[in-house]
Amino acid sequence: MSDINTVNPGDPTPEQKNKVGKYLPIYYAGASGDFNPIHIDPEFGKMVGLGGNILQGLCTMGFVAKMHTDWAQDPGRLKRLKVRFSKPVLPNDTVVVKGTVKEKGGGALRCEVWAENQKGEAVITNGESEIEI
Amino acid sequence: MAVNPKYIGKKYPPSTYEVGREKVREYADAIGDMNPLCRSLEKARASKYGNIVAPPTFAVVYAKEPVGRMLLDPDLSLNLPMLVHGEQEFEFHNVVLAGDEITTEGEITEIYEKKGKDFVTCTTTSKNQRGELVCTGRWTFVVRG
Repeated sequence: MSDINTVNPGDPTPEQKNKVGKYLPIYYAGASGDFNPIHIDPEFGKMVGLGGNILQGLCTMGFVAKMHTDWAQDPGRLKRLKVRFSKPVLPNDTVVVKGTVKEKGGGALRCEVWAENQKGEAVITNGESEIEI
Repeated sequence: MAVNPKYIGKKYPPSTYEVGREKVREYADAIGDMNPLCRSLEKARASKYGNIVAPPTFAVVYAKEPVGRMLLDPDLSLNLPMLVHGEQEFEFHNVVLAGDEITTEGEITEIYEKKGKDFVTCTTTSKNQRGELVCTGRWTFVVRG
């Protein structure tokens, strides 16, 4: 993993892989309080045209945040994170978080970040983050 | 059916959430966050924070109440089965520790239609028990066709 204190604009952020277990949407529902049936009920997900239940977007955002806080080894240094949920994440998918450092200055890095599933399809796009160094 | 933009500026009353140590661990487990500061009381106590630190996106747990009220607001009559989360932004101003009491207010800040879909944004402002701003959230939902 690159050293967060010495990276420069143009350098990649670490890549981080997250396995989405079959029951993660149900576990995340309990942990977060988001029990929307599209996340916990495959039949309901099919009925509304999603093909089954889908992972909470905010769980995927949590994966994106974790790449930063693991990199900084400090949950207190992530200052801003913005994401767009571009495609549903399904049970048994693998989500890979990626990014590029865009700017460095004022004691912080500003990064462009995104996430892909195991087929290389973007599940999070237009991600922007700011993390203290 | 389009959501009426006259509700931009509508506010939802503050709600207070007490951050529990085990809830933080449970949330960290869900996103696979192994940082000892979020899990080990001993390591967290020995750190500059002095107590278990919530992962930043734990904001979804303590700040969600006003967002939920907006989603179920009869004034908006959102078609929930067709609603998806479109975008999310958080600004993290201060860390949140186990034992903190976080009070969150919500306000509708955007309602617009684009390509036949309705977009609605709730902005949440969360403060701790000392009145310090800890997190600003912008939650954007899209009602599919």
